[in-house]
Order: sequence, then C-alpha cells, then structure tokens
Amino acid sequence: MSNYIERFSTSERVLHWIVTASFFTLLLTGLGLYSTLFNGYFSLFGGGRNAILIHKISGVLFFLSSLYMFFNHQKDVTGFDQDDKKWVTERGGYLSRNASHFNIGKYNPGQKLFAIFIAAATLVLGVTGLFIWAPTMFPRWIVQLSLMAHGLMFVCSIMFVVVHVYLATIGNPGTIEAMLYGNVRSLWARKHHPKWYREVTGEKP
Amino acid sequence: MADTINQTTRKGFLVDTSRCIGCRSCQVACKQWNKLDADKTANKGTFENPRDLTPALYNRIRFIEKETSGEMTWQFFNERCMHCGDAGCMKVCPSPGALYRTKDGIVAFNKDKCISCKYCVSACPFNIPRYGTDDKVSKCHLCTDRISGGMTPACAKACPTETLKYGKRSDLIAKATAAKKTLYGVDDLLGLGVVYALEGPPEQYGLPAKPGIPMSIFLWKDVIKPLGILGFWGSIGAMLLHYVTIGPKKVDDDLNVKEDGHE
Repeated sequence: MSNYIERFSTSERVLHWIVTASFFTLLLTGLGLYSTLFNGYFSLFGGGRNAILIHKISGVLFFLSSLYMFFNHQKDVTGFDQDDKKWVTERGGYLSRNASHFNIGKYNPGQKLFAIFIAAATLVLGVTGLFIWAPTMFPRWIVQLSLMAHGLMFVCSIMFVVVHVYLATIGNPGTIEAMLYGNVRSLWARKHHPKWYREVTGEKP
Repeated sequence: MADTINQTTRKGFLVDTSRCIGCRSCQVACKQWNKLDADKTANKGTFENPRDLTPALYNRIRFIEKETSGEMTWQFFNERCMHCGDAGCMKVCPSPGALYRTKDGIVAFNKDKCISCKYCVSACPFNIPRYGTDDKVSKCHLCTDRISGGMTPACAKACPTETLKYGKRSDLIAKATAAKKTLYGVDDLLGLGVVYALEGPPEQYGLPAKPGIPMSIFLWKDVIKPLGILGFWGSIGAMLLHYVTIGPKKVDDDLNVKEDGHE
C-alpha cells in the first residue's frame, strides 16, 4: 500500500486554479466598483476603465470555467446519503475538539454545498453581469435588480471562499496537497474520506 | 462619497409650467452654449422634438397633449437633471469626482473621471443621464461654467416667458409659495434643485408622485455594501476564532489510537 493516493488529476487541478485566478482577478477589479472605499484598487489595473474591461474578460473566463468545473464534478457533489446526513447533524465535527468519525465519500456535505452554491452564484453573477455590462440595452428595473443581486452574490461568495480557503489549508492540514500535487496522504484520506479511500484502494472496512 | 448639501445657499431653478409656450429656446440655447451637436430626429406626428433626452440634449420640452371636451390642449414640461439633494447618481458612482456637487448644490460631471460603468443610469430616480459615443456621462450641469462666472444658465437666459427662473433655491420657493403655486420637488430627495410649479398631478407630466432612489439601488448601496464588508471581516474573524478555540483537524490525532504500523 502506497503512502499517497491521487485525489485530483492534473486537468482538474489546472481547471481549479483557472477558476481561482479568475475569481481573484474579479475580486480585485470589482472592489473599486463595490465601494469608493476601495477606489485605490483601480490603480492596480491602471484606472477604473481598465479595471472594468479586465472585470468583463475575467468574468467570462470565470463563468465558463466555474460552470465547467461544476459539471465535471456534478455526479460527485449533488447526491447526499445517510452518512452525509449524520455529518450535517453533527456539523462535520467542526464545533468540537473531540475526534469525530464520519463515513464520508469523495466529498463531504460541506464541500458539496459549497460546490452547488458556487455554481448557483456563478450563474447569478454571470447573468446579472451581462445586464450590468450593457445597461442601456435592458429595462431599467432589470439592471437595478441585477446591480443589487450582483453585489449580494459577491458578498456571499467571498464569505464562502474565506471558509473554503480556511478549511482547505490550516483548518485541515494535508488538504491543500490535493490541489497542489494531486496526491493526498493515505492517512488523510482514511480520516477525512474513508468511504472514498476504500473505493479507491479496495480495502475492506 | 459623502454627499452633503448646504440648503441655505443652494441655487436652483423654478420651472413654472403655466408660463411655458413650448418655444424650445431653452433646448437651443443649451445646445449652443454647451456646443452640443444636433440630433437627427423623425416626425412621429407630434410637435415634440426630440422625443427623448440624448447625450447631446441636456434639456427638452415634453409636449403633453390633453383632450378636454373635444378640444386639444397642450401642457409643456421642461425635462432635465433635477440636481437632487440626495442624488442617486452620486450615491452609486464608483469614480470620485466623475459626478460631483458644486458649492451651489448643483450635480455636475467631469468626463475625464467617468469610467463608463453607467451605474448612474440605473440609479437616477428620473432616468436622466445619457451616454454618447464617447461612452461618458452627460446631462444638464446647470451651466456650471456660466454660474461660476456670475451668469444665468443658458436655458434660463434664453427663456422668453420666465418659465425657467434661476436663483437662490429658497427664495424661488418662497416666492412661488406666496403666489400659491402647487410645487413639486420641495422636499423630495432632500429637495430637488429644479422645483416645478405644476398645473396638475405629477403623473400627468410623467413624474413619479413620490420620487425616490430605486429600492434595489438603496438596498445595494446602503444595506448590502456595509453588511458585506462586515460579513467579510466577520468570516475571517470566525475562521481565526475557530483555529484558536477548536483548532484544526490534524490527521496525526488518530495516529495514537490506530494501528498504522504496517504502512
């Protein structure tokens, strides 16, 4: 038995980092549009006009790559079983120091919900973004609602991303390796995703 | 950007619609002073021309045709930027200085600072800002350049019937109130810079009875924006708190209880 097992293939990892890069480009270009408090971020891109242009380009990139990523993992992230239910009722053991054991497959319910939320947010941000892109071509009320929904979805997204980054890095040591090198330690897999570990290795419980 | 207005020194217009004869001198004078190109228009069976504000038309006369007992009557309405005391355009503009308030309380614009986001188009309670081929905001700025030189705005200067009266806003309102005029825009949106004496209900002139910044724009800028900043830092704080109170899920925690010697 090897010490490492593959969690994400090279193409999955590249796709994830394309989504990440476009997300943070959107964040940095959009901050100045969110509030004049963050006007200084425009200078990173040589002014507001350029920031808007880059926001539009990275928006298209994010929309396509993020949705593609979701459909790539759709069958793994949209089904919930009894073991997932237990994870949800006990909050994944994150609210206690006691060791917790859940019979979790490749993704836990938190990860599944995050994937579904980001896919929904991508849709909303993409569609509203289109209305905001060319506001004079659409009825005013649609653009007004879009500006509000775009801001709201951005806020929700950035908060989810903060949690996502925490849980994938210092919150669960060993997790980030899956997205960097593709392999995770067997011990990690057995602790966090035992059902998936057994599927991959064929090991009996 | 905090938008503050000095109500006592504020300048503005009083537009007495009952005096307007629909000559459109205001439209022409505005175009001349602001060096705005002519717009090509089409005859749609009405004297109203053009039919809407354009990037090259900062104010226009709306012709409202009314039929009472078989006879057609006209009402004329001067449509332009209202220079709201609480201006939706300024609330949403992400580029400081692109839309700004002058010391006279006028909402003026600086095309050099406009970044073409067009948020002002959506936030205006009266649907006034227009974007031209230069992709920059344009609207009535009450001839800021003339005012600063002690002159009257071009449209008011040209108006032959004193429909458009420019001056200290509080004086204009006081005089019109004394003349028992029905005024529109005295208190709405912290007072409009352009106050109208109307001859009928506002709706008849295509005006909202109770003008306000659109609800979704208010929620976006005054609710979601501040709560979002709070939520961002709150989520970072919550993660740090989790790390130092409950702590990370270390894989090695289980090493002592599980037999992993065979690895």
